Amino acid sequence: MAYLLEVQNLKKYFTKTSGLIKREEKHIKAVDNVSFGVRKGETLGLVGESGCGKSTTGRTILKLYKPTSGKIIFDGVDITNFSEKQMLPYRKKMQMIFQDPYASLNSRMTISDIIGEAIDTHNVASSKSEKSDMIASLLQRVGLMKDHASRYPHEFSGGQRQRIGIARALAVNPEFIICDEPISALDVSIQAQVVNMLEEIQQETGMGYLFIAHDLSMVKHISNRIGVMYLGQLVEIGNSDKLYSNPTHPYTKALLSAIPIPDPESEKSKSRIILQGDVPSPLNPPSGCHFRTRCQYCMERCSIEEPKLKTIDGDHQVACHLFDK
Amino acid sequence: MGKEKILEVKGLETSFFTHLGEVQSVRSVSFDIHKGEVVGIVGESGSGKSITCMSIMKLLQHPGKIKHGEVIFKGEDLVKKSPKEMRKIQGDEISMIFQDPMTALNPVYTIGNQMTEVIRAHKKISQKEAEKIAIKMLEAVGIPSPEQRLKNYPHEFSGGMRQRAIIAMALSCEPELLIADEPTTALDVTIQAQILDLLKGLREKLDTSIIFITHDLGVIAELCDKVIVMYGGMVMEEASVVDLFKEPKNPYTIGLLKSVPNPETLTKQTLVPIAGSPPDMLNPPKGCAFCNRCEYAVQKCLVEVPKLYDVGKDHKSRCHLYHPDTPNEVKIKREVI
Amino acid sequence: MNQWTPISSEETQGNQPTRKSLTYWQDVWRRLRQNVMAMTGLVMILIISGLAIFGPMFSPYSYSEQNLQLANIAPQIEITKITDKDYVFVHNEYRLVSVTADGKFIGAPEVVDENKINRYITYNIDGKEVKFDYSLAMSNRKKGQKVTEEEENADMKTKYDIFVDGEKIDKYDTKIVLNKTNIMGTDTLGRDVWTRVLYGARISLTVGLVASVVNLCVGVVYGGIAGYEGGKVDNIMMRIVDIISSVPLLLIVILLMVIIEPGLKTIIITIGMVYWVGMARLVRGQVLSLKEQEFVLAARALGVTKSKIIIKHLIPNAIGPIVVSMMMSIPSAIFTEAFLSFIGLGVSAPEASWGTLANDALGGIRSYPYQLIIPSIAIALTMFAFNFLGDGLRDALDPRLRK
Repeated sequence: MAYLLEVQNLKKYFTKTSGLIKREEKHIKAVDNVSFGVRKGETLGLVGESGCGKSTTGRTILKLYKPTSGKIIFDGVDITNFSEKQMLPYRKKMQMIFQDPYASLNSRMTISDIIGEAIDTHNVASSKSEKSDMIASLLQRVGLMKDHASRYPHEFSGGQRQRIGIARALAVNPEFIICDEPISALDVSIQAQVVNMLEEIQQETGMGYLFIAHDLSMVKHISNRIGVMYLGQLVEIGNSDKLYSNPTHPYTKALLSAIPIPDPESEKSKSRIILQGDVPSPLNPPSGCHFRTRCQYCMERCSIEEPKLKTIDGDHQVACHLFDK
Repeated sequence: MGKEKILEVKGLETSFFTHLGEVQSVRSVSFDIHKGEVVGIVGESGSGKSITCMSIMKLLQHPGKIKHGEVIFKGEDLVKKSPKEMRKIQGDEISMIFQDPMTALNPVYTIGNQMTEVIRAHKKISQKEAEKIAIKMLEAVGIPSPEQRLKNYPHEFSGGMRQRAIIAMALSCEPELLIADEPTTALDVTIQAQILDLLKGLREKLDTSIIFITHDLGVIAELCDKVIVMYGGMVMEEASVVDLFKEPKNPYTIGLLKSVPNPETLTKQTLVPIAGSPPDMLNPPKGCAFCNRCEYAVQKCLVEVPKLYDVGKDHKSRCHLYHPDTPNEVKIKREVI
Repeated sequence: MNQWTPISSEETQGNQPTRKSLTYWQDVWRRLRQNVMAMTGLVMILIISGLAIFGPMFSPYSYSEQNLQLANIAPQIEITKITDKDYVFVHNEYRLVSVTADGKFIGAPEVVDENKINRYITYNIDGKEVKFDYSLAMSNRKKGQKVTEEEENADMKTKYDIFVDGEKIDKYDTKIVLNKTNIMGTDTLGRDVWTRVLYGARISLTVGLVASVVNLCVGVVYGGIAGYEGGKVDNIMMRIVDIISSVPLLLIVILLMVIIEPGLKTIIITIGMVYWVGMARLVRGQVLSLKEQEFVLAARALGVTKSKIIIKHLIPNAIGPIVVSMMMSIPSAIFTEAFLSFIGLGVSAPEASWGTLANDALGGIRSYPYQLIIPSIAIALTMFAFNFLGDGLRDALDPRLRK
C-alpha cells in the first residue's frame, strides 16, 4: 500500500550565528536525514528524548518550519517547496494536535471562534447556520456539549481543552493528523480518554496519524509502527510489537528498559540498562554514530562512520554497525 | 512495622482562600511515615498531593493556610512552630526536592556556593569543611570530578546533572525525611531511570525516609514501599506497593491502573479511561470526591463522605462499598487487571 | 430510594465540572477595582477629561478675553470696607476696584481726579468722594533716597490711605473673601486663569490622545510586523526605530519649526513621529515570544493568513503590555508638550496650554504665585492620575497574577 505521507531524507538545520565581526555559523541539526512513511489508517509513533528532533520533524512536515533539504510527499505530491498559497489545500488535508492544552488555544477567543477559524479559513461551511451546526457536532464528537461553544478556554480543564484542540483539527476533515505529544500534559486518567478518542476517530475516518510522544507505553499502545529518534536521526523503525519485544538498536533497548512498569513484581525481576551520561549537545554531536558516547557496544568504527538505516527483518530497519553483515 | 514512626500527619486540612471562595486543597489527610520507608503519593494534578507536602514543610504561600490538623515530626507538632523554628528543620531534618531542576537552582551562584550555603546554614563549620561535605555529596550522587564541578554554574549542568546536584544539596545535611515533589517528571526516561537508580542506592546507604510524589504509577512501582493514593484532596487508598498493584481496593485506584497501558503485555490492551474530569475543589462534591466518575457509585456516595476503612493488613480504602452494611450485589466485582 | 441504589449515568454526567468563571476583561476589572490608587487615578482622569470637554462651555469667559482692570487678581482677595455697603479691593497697582461684600467684582469706579505727581486718585463711589492716597511710602522718605528693599517688600497697607468724603477710614478694617468673579484669579492680562487651565487641559489631553493613538496605530502594527516576520525584515525595521529614537526630541521640534509654524500642530507631529518607537519595540518583543506559542502554530497549520494571525492572535494576547504602555505614554506626552511650551516651543498666544501658562506665570512668581501653582497642580494631578492608573493596569493585566 502506498504511503499517504512520505518523508525522504528530511533535514532541518537551525542556524545559530555568533560573533559580531567574524560571523560564525553553527548548525543545530534538529532533524538530520530522516525518512519514513505513514499509510492511510495507520499510526506511526515517533519516540525519543527531549531535543531529539521529533517535534521539529512534525512541524517541518506541516511546513511550520522551512525544511533545509529533503522531500515531503503527501498523497504522491511533493509539497516541499510549495508556497503558502499552494499549501492551503494541503493544510486542509494535514492537521496537527499540540502538546500543551493551555498554550494551544488562544485565550482571547471563544471556543466557537477557535473552531470557526478553521472552518472559515477553508470555507468548509456555506452559511453561518451551517457553521454553527458544524461546531456543535464537532464538540459532540469530542465529548463536549454544544453550549460550551460560547465559552472561553480558561473555563475548561486540561483534558477538555485538548478535546477542543482535537475538534479544531477535525473541523477541516483532514486525512492525516500529526499528534505532537497530545497527552503528555494531561493527567493519567484523562490520557486514556484522549487516546481512546483518537483511536475511535481513526477507525471511523481511516486517517493516518503521526503520533509523537516520549511516553513509550502510550506510543506502543496506539501505534502500528514506531520510529525511534536520537539526536535528530532515526535510529530504528519497525512494527510496534516487534520493536518492543525485540528491540535491536542499543538505544532502543536502553530506552525501553528505562520505562517504569506499573507492576512491582515484574519491576523487581527486570534488569535495567542504565545509560550513562546525558544526551550530547545537538550543536556539537559526536562524530560517526551519535549514540556512541553512551553506547556499551561502541566500536572503533562507530566514531568514524555514520551508520545507515538497514532493513533487518521485513519492515524493521535499524541504524547500527552491529547489524552490518 | 517495627520501626519507629518518624512523621505522623493527623487530620491535615489546608485551604486556599481566593477571591472566588475557599479552595479545599487538602481535606483531612492522615498518614504515618516510618524510618527508612519510601512512601509514594500518587494523584492527578489538583489532588492535593503537593499541597500536603508543602503543608508539612510549611512552605505554603498566601492565600494558603493550614486550617486543622497536626504534623508530628519526632514528637513535635510542626504546625505550631514559628517560621524561625521551622527554618532550622527545613533543609536540615526535612529536605525537599522540586519538580523543575531548571528553576530550583539560582543561576548567578556556583553549585558549590549554593551547596555550602545550605550546609553552613545548619552546621557551624568552616567554608572549607562545608566544601568537603559538598564534594562528598556530589560524589555520592554520581557527579564525576566533583571538585571542579563545584565551581560550575547551574547552566553548565544538564537537566539530569542538575537534579543530581539538587538531590546532593537536599541530602547534604543528612535529613531524616526527604520530600521529593515529582523529581523525575521534567526529565527524560533514560535520565529518570538514572535518578531512580540513584535514589534507590542512596536510600539503602543513608536510611532516609522519603516521601515521593508522582503521577506515574510505574515510578511508584519501582521505588516505593507504601503508596498513598490521593484524589480530591483526600487519601483514597493506602497500601503496601505490592497490595496496591495486585489488589487495589478503591474504585479510583482500579480505574487509574486500567487507564495506563503496560508495555510488557504483548497483546493489544483496551484502555479503560475514567470518564469525566477531576472535581473542582472550589466547590467539591458533597459526598465522595470520586462519585461522579465512579462506576460503582451508589446513592450514599452522593451525600456522605466515606470513611477510610481497613480492608486488609496495612491496607485502607476510602469507599462506601467497604461499609459493613454494604449489600453483596454492589460490592466491587473484582476483575483481573 | 435505597442509599445503596447505584447512581444512574445522568446523575454522574450531569455535574460535569465546567467552572463558571470570569472573562479576561471581567477579571482585569475585578482586580483593578481592588486597587484604590488606580481607581482614584481613573476617577481623576474622568473628571479631568469631563472638565476639559465641557468645562469651557460653562465658563462665562473665553480663554483670550482680556480685562486689564482686573489683571493679576488672586483667587483670594482682601477687601476694604469704605461705607456700610460699599467695599473696595485695593489693587497692588495702586488702584481701587469696587467689589461686593462677598467678593464679586463690580468694576473700576468712576475716576474724578487722578494726580500722578502727588500720588492720589479720587473716585466717585455711590455719590461719595473716595480719595485713594498712595503717596505714603514716598512722603515718609527723604528726597533722593533710594527705595530700599525693605520698603519695596513692605505690606501694601503701609503705603496708602483712603479718605471717604475727606474723612480717613480705617484701612485695617478689611476682610478676606474668595474671588467670586474669577475663582482661580486672573493673569497679567486679566484673563480668567480657570478658563485658561480648562482650555490648557484640552490641548494637553489632545496631545496625550494623539500620542496614544499614534502609539496604537503605528507602534503596534510596526512592532507586530517586525516581530512576526523576524530575520532581515525585523533587523531593518528595528534599525530604523533605533535611528528615530537616537535623534533628540528638541532637535526634531526645532527643525520642524523651520518648516511649519510653531504651535499645536508641530508638537503633535513631533510626538507622532517619536512616540510610537517605544511601543514598536515592546510589541515586537511580545510578538517574538508569542509567535512560537502553540496556538499561533495551530493557526499557521490551518493556513490562516499572516495579517489575520497578527490581528486576531498576536495582538489580543499582547494587549496587556500594550494598554499599560499606552497609559504610560499619555502622561509622558503631556509632559513633553508642557515642557516644549514652557521653553517657548509650544502653542502660540493667546492659546493656552499648561506649559505656556506656567511659563507666563514665571515672571510674576513672587507677586502672583497662584498663576504658576494652578497649572502646575493641573499637570501634576494628570501625571499622577495616568501613572497610577497605568500601574494599576499593569498589575491587573499581568498574566502571572491570573489563576
